[in-house]
Amino acid sequence: MPLEPFKASGSLTLGVELELQLVNPTDFDLSAAASDMLHLLARAPFPGDVKPEITESMIEVATGVHREYGALLAQLRVIRDALVAAGDRINVAVCGGGTHPFQRWFRQRIHSAQRFRELSSLYGYLAKQFTVFGQHVHVGCESADEALFLLHALNRYVPHFIALSASSPYSQGVDTLFDSARLNSVFAFPLSGRAPFLLDWKEFEENYFARMEASGVVKSMKDFYWDIRPKPEFGTIELRVCDTPLTVERAAALAGYLQALCRHLLSRAEPPPVEEDYFVYNYNRFQACRFGLEGILVHPRTHESSTLREDILATLRRIQPHAATLGSEEALVEIHRVAAHAGNDAGDLRRRHAEAGSVEGVVDAAVRRFRSIERKSS
Amino acid sequence: MSDLAALGEIVWPSSLALAWLAGEIGHRWLGLPRISSYGVVGFLLASAQGGFLPDPRDGPAAWLADVAFGLILFELGYRINLNWLRTNPWLAVTSLVEAGGSFVAVFFVAQRFSVAPVPALLLAALAMSTSPAAVVRVTNELHSSGQVTERTLHLSAFNCVLAVIAFKIVVGYGLLVSDGGILRALWSSLAVLAVSAGLGAAFGVAVPGLLRMLGGGERNATLAFAAAVIVATALSHALQFSPLLATLAFGIVARHRRVVLSPAQRNFGALGDLLTLLLFVFVAATIDWRHAVEGAGLALAVIAVRVVVKTSATTLFARASGLSWRKGVLTGLALTPLSVFAILLLEQSRYLGLDLLDELKAIMGMVLLLEVIAPIITQRALIRAGEATGREED
Repeated sequence: MPLEPFKASGSLTLGVELELQLVNPTDFDLSAAASDMLHLLARAPFPGDVKPEITESMIEVATGVHREYGALLAQLRVIRDALVAAGDRINVAVCGGGTHPFQRWFRQRIHSAQRFRELSSLYGYLAKQFTVFGQHVHVGCESADEALFLLHALNRYVPHFIALSASSPYSQGVDTLFDSARLNSVFAFPLSGRAPFLLDWKEFEENYFARMEASGVVKSMKDFYWDIRPKPEFGTIELRVCDTPLTVERAAALAGYLQALCRHLLSRAEPPPVEEDYFVYNYNRFQACRFGLEGILVHPRTHESSTLREDILATLRRIQPHAATLGSEEALVEIHRVAAHAGNDAGDLRRRHAEAGSVEGVVDAAVRRFRSIERKSS
Repeated sequence: MSDLAALGEIVWPSSLALAWLAGEIGHRWLGLPRISSYGVVGFLLASAQGGFLPDPRDGPAAWLADVAFGLILFELGYRINLNWLRTNPWLAVTSLVEAGGSFVAVFFVAQRFSVAPVPALLLAALAMSTSPAAVVRVTNELHSSGQVTERTLHLSAFNCVLAVIAFKIVVGYGLLVSDGGILRALWSSLAVLAVSAGLGAAFGVAVPGLLRMLGGGERNATLAFAAAVIVATALSHALQFSPLLATLAFGIVARHRRVVLSPAQRNFGALGDLLTLLLFVFVAATIDWRHAVEGAGLALAVIAVRVVVKTSATTLFARASGLSWRKGVLTGLALTPLSVFAILLLEQSRYLGLDLLDELKAIMGMVLLLEVIAPIITQRALIRAGEATGREED
């Protein structure tokens, strides 16, 4: 299947996808409830899009296309309420978080859709280990070249999103010491990581994609698990490094931050991206996964080191005017709160673990946070 | 004589070993639930069938069977989310209709077979229940998870509570009409119900509280709960309360006090597996084939009516309670098991001087058939619902 033509879309429009956990409210283990949940949700119009994911204990929701952060947040809240209400009817709890803290991957049941069966037979245990939960943010682009420019211009900011969204400190019952253990699972796939450095769509199509396809390695863009990938049929780039946060409010704030950052980058206020930027990419990415906001970021051009926290706070100051134009200042307030003092969800979950003394208590806390029936973390 | 005594000491252990072997063979080769094979072995080895197992009802096996069932009831209670009744009232309606409907329908069937009123009412009360032993064991064996699993477990817990209540009230009524005096009648029914549930609830508050005070994580919770279940069973036995209600209430209250069992501790580990083996052999060994044959006609009629009523109720309210029709039907079918609960409830009422087992010969045929067949029905229903992972216990 050749690469689809890039369908232009409104510049800086936003769409958010969230992969969510379905949990048994009694033992807090993952619950193979996706089919039951989808059956129930199919009865009434859903305020967004909802679909199955690779294992029966995941569900994916998506918003429509939004220009403004406020409308995006409003839709995410309605989606959350619909999910929570449906879950209550069938005794299933829904929550965010990049990993389930103690699920056993070999227990997961692969969803029966054809594509998931194929993935499972190709990747074996990796497919089941892939029971991790991410947030994907789509940003609309007016042209394919604009998409590739943004994709690469964002390279040095990718760790920001990892650190801010990180919510997967626990995996298989233990503290991994990573803030985002989820990305380690993603990294096991052969076609993960960064996209090749090509800024021209025609070149991308002919010199890269067509060759990959001819080699039989990939069939479509879906087979790439890059940190950011173009999505030609939507006319967007898709940022895929975020863990699903514990609340939809955090998810919307991350999208708002990305939107303002993209506007800043499109104003060409920074030097254009070059291949050499990627020399420090994997190191910075690791720092963000492992240490979150305390991670050390090496600037690709100046080679200066700073903590992610400092770099995010500095970035917030730079992009403030763009947020004002876009009407997403509230998103930046939330990001500032996280970076400056509240910390990310991984830290929150570790505190809950210390309080509850068990990984089950961590899931209990995540369920409460998602429903927003508990104090906001402070 | 000493040879005979020695023989007496090895019959139970060797029966358990045989049952285990049959369970594994049936499971590996035929895909049968293990507990079905345990029942077959227990029945065949019982003295009534010419086997070497003596009547188990007066030995230590009876006590161990009570403990085994107590552990299962506690585990079931621990998996019950009472809030679900509030967020989905149609589930409560389903429960009341399937249990109440079974009572009424079975009573009328028994009347048609000319069973006297009090035994007919007792039979009807027993028919309300779904045996938690079979349901819990089969779901754990399949690692099943989904709506049919969840609802089968919840409806089983609810209909057991309703069955115990109905049963005790009928017993009280029976004592009243047989001139046991109003006080004795009241005590044997309502007071026993209240005190048993209260005893269980007290354990449910005390044990998690104690664990919290001791601190130190989830590891020792399993053992603590197992020990407490044994104490609760023994205590309610000694005081002639209902161990069934007490252990179930214990589980439900403990769950809502939120000290979490980790999933590895399902079944109470190997201890639970061993006791379950004993429980199913025990129950089948109480059955005399002559009684079973004598009551076969009524038994078949009761089984049929009960399946129809339960399945109709779960199907009727399936959509309203957020389920597909298909899963509604499968939930009803999964509710078929009955045996262990019925036998133990009858056993534990013997101190009243009513030997109900003899009076209710029809129940023997029913217990025998359902002990073997019902777990298979539950298993198939869960598999057809697509809720079994099909993985072996790790």
